[in-house]
Amino acid sequence: MNGSVLGLELVPGAAAAAAGALFPGRHRVHLAAGLTVVTCAVAAVAAGAVLRSGHGLVVRASGILPLTGARLDLVPVSAVFVATTAVVAIAACIYWPGYAHHGLSSRTASGVLPIFVTSMLVVAEAGDAVTFLVAWELMAVSSLVLVLADQAGREETRSAAQWYAVMTSAGAAAVVLAVVLVCAHAGALSFATVAARAGGADRLPGGTRDVVLVLALVGFGSKAGMVPLHVWLPKAHPEAPSPVSALMSGAMVNLGIYGIVLVADRLLGGAPSWWWAAVMALGAASALFGAVQASVTSDLKRLLAYSTTDNMGLVLLALGLSGLLATGHETDLAVLALVTALLLVVNHAAFKGCLFLAAGSIQVATGTRELDRLGGLVRRMPATTAVFVVAALAVAAVPPFNGFVGEWLLFESLLRAIESSGVVVAVVAVVAVAALALTGGVSVMAFVKAVGIGALGRPRSAGAAAAREVPRAMVVGAGLLAAACVVLGIAPMLVLPSLERAAASVLGGARPAVLHGGIDVALAGLDGVLAPAWIAVGLALAAAVVVAARDRIGSRRPPRRVAAAWSCGRELQTARMQYTATSFAEPLERVFDDVLRPDRDVTVSHSEESRYFVEKVAYRSTVGDVVETALYRPAVDAVRWWGRQARRLQNGSVHRYLAYALVALLALFVVLA
Amino acid sequence: MSGPSFATALELGAGAVLVCAVLTMWRRSLAAIVRLLALQGVALAAVALVLGLHARDGVLVGVGAVVVVEKGVALPAVLLRVVARDTSSRETAPLVNVPASLVATGALTLLAFAVAGPVVALVPTVAGRLVPLGLATALIGIFAMAVRRRAVSQIVGLLLLDNGIALVAFLATGGFPLVVELGASLDVLLLVVVARVLGTRLHERFGVLDLDELRELHD
Repeated sequence: MNGSVLGLELVPGAAAAAAGALFPGRHRVHLAAGLTVVTCAVAAVAAGAVLRSGHGLVVRASGILPLTGARLDLVPVSAVFVATTAVVAIAACIYWPGYAHHGLSSRTASGVLPIFVTSMLVVAEAGDAVTFLVAWELMAVSSLVLVLADQAGREETRSAAQWYAVMTSAGAAAVVLAVVLVCAHAGALSFATVAARAGGADRLPGGTRDVVLVLALVGFGSKAGMVPLHVWLPKAHPEAPSPVSALMSGAMVNLGIYGIVLVADRLLGGAPSWWWAAVMALGAASALFGAVQASVTSDLKRLLAYSTTDNMGLVLLALGLSGLLATGHETDLAVLALVTALLLVVNHAAFKGCLFLAAGSIQVATGTRELDRLGGLVRRMPATTAVFVVAALAVAAVPPFNGFVGEWLLFESLLRAIESSGVVVAVVAVVAVAALALTGGVSVMAFVKAVGIGALGRPRSAGAAAAREVPRAMVVGAGLLAAACVVLGIAPMLVLPSLERAAASVLGGARPAVLHGGIDVALAGLDGVLAPAWIAVGLALAAAVVVAARDRIGSRRPPRRVAAAWSCGRELQTARMQYTATSFAEPLERVFDDVLRPDRDVTVSHSEESRYFVEKVAYRSTVGDVVETALYRPAVDAVRWWGRQARRLQNGSVHRYLAYALVALLALFVVLA
Repeated sequence: MSGPSFATALELGAGAVLVCAVLTMWRRSLAAIVRLLALQGVALAAVALVLGLHARDGVLVGVGAVVVVEKGVALPAVLLRVVARDTSSRETAPLVNVPASLVATGALTLLAFAVAGPVVALVPTVAGRLVPLGLATALIGIFAMAVRRRAVSQIVGLLLLDNGIALVAFLATGGFPLVVELGASLDVLLLVVVARVLGTRLHERFGVLDLDELRELHD
């Protein structure tokens, strides 16, 4: 396979955008989705070939971008991200035509979605600074358009888009500065050349390197939803149309991780340990904060968005650990940690993409994404619920799904790091293990809530009661990713060797021999073995035993009698008497009271005649984002104040503006003379 | 044209440009102001012609001819038609009154001479010495726009600015190439036509051509 296949994949992408924007009627969605799937399939095949062989693909096109041309360079580590993006995008594009009855079918949306997907692929494939930055910016702009695609009239959507626009522009500015600083020092635009020079005598001086690293962490971290730069994520992901949410959460945030790997590991050839420790600390904070916020919110898509922050935190944790170990020359362990990070990325793409698609189906079928208004979906939408439950179990790291393998590897690498490295790494790793354990527990709670309240019980609203199963395309799209969760969970060795090759190539030619085994995952030189397939068999057997036993016991039981009973006060039982998402999360909310700062409000109104009779009690509880209120509100207020002051200068008088011009000109003359 | 007579002619032309600019700040009648502008255009053209004859530069003479037609005839004619439509064709209440405006004009001229030092040092010829006159004309133009209320006065201010810049260009560099001058002239002509249309609409809407009526536009 040669490099031109990379250029080839852009053709159906461009055709999809054109078809989506120009084709009349509803067929434009089918056409755009179909052509986008072709693009993704080509990209996935190319990425698969690179991962198998370990050799990169390069293509140069001089005509596409002015002055510098475009250069695509698919190396193993970027192939991991390309393949992940492609699979999520294929699932989203299968789902899209079904969703198009409810939204995302305008010319703008159908034209921009292929651009979004293609630009994400190009970001991961980019082989020089200009291509990378152009694709990065295109990805940001097109995703912003898609957030606004359906509901630009809604106040919440507009506000979310505004937050997203500001955060993504600020992040992009940091990314541009970081990449340009590195490339300017190396005197080359091509990433391969810059990487080759990074190890040599003319490596970046310490001060500049630190600036680059901090900028990269800010720019790429904000894209990856890292605390405290995550604030756009729980706003934009819920408001975007669901296929777009799935793409943003399943594919786009990953590219933030890719950017960190690209700059720190590839372009700079390593970073100082303080920076990696900072990455770990921010990762741990993101994981904890995301998990806690996810477990107390009652908006389904907001829950998923916070869970994204949680999962990206885990990836950053693994990434930071890998870097820390690499600076301490623990290459084998560093490779293991980096493999873990990549596996977590792949896993997250599968289950979060699936969850967002399934959440979109639920929203379409019930008209709400508020958990307190859902319920009883397991009978009304069995297929969608099954898909949702599989993905939720995967997020909660329950075997035999893929989340479990990722978390096992993360624990393994942290525990190995404690045993075999220096004091600093050991201390950091111990703290990280504790944070990870807490995160895991809390996020299980979040997804127990999502499934238990959303899918089980009785419907809490008329919309939920009237829910019908969604069109087959939507089930298949989400089901594809759910299947990926199962396959990756039972046979992780399908992908782990490829990830290991990619990780080893990033960390400078370490021998890729940490992981081996056929069905089991075994760690070479370390006595850790995981047999996910056997776990699956064991679980299946255990489940069979339980079911059989229940049937046997059930058959022995005397026939059921129907009798009038005390009813225990349950004469009148309505759906409102069930547990709700809010009540389920309430104990946790109390535990984390200081972190969450919930806003509770109880209003008791009395009867007119007597204060002893209560007419009604209104209870309102909202949990905001403490980072937003403590960190961003003051900044926003300061900008507003500044704007109000500046408005005094501008009173609408043409003469005043001309006088400003005159005074400025005179001042300029005086200064220059 | 040679030696002393060249210098005298050049000083006379450039001086006339500045004097016309000062006089526009003195007169209140819009028709008189536009006629002063026409005179200034002719003076500017004379400067270009004198320079062109001295340097035996046919292009510069051509530019002079273009300037006469554009700034001496065409633009004033357009503006006079606007003035003719307006019933109260006087600048009744400028933001800064006439004596104060004249003082300010003097101050701006002084400032122009004070700050033009670097440019004068750059062009050590007779023409170079006169650059401050063009600069002063341009500053007076901006000042006129800032303090005059009527739309026509605003346009006149803009044209004063344009003439000042043109004068500086002629004196400091021996003139633009013909193409540039033609382009700039066309721009200004277009601008005046747009302003005229806008002024007509303003007149229909408010009955006067007073820019302060536009205050409502803000926000």
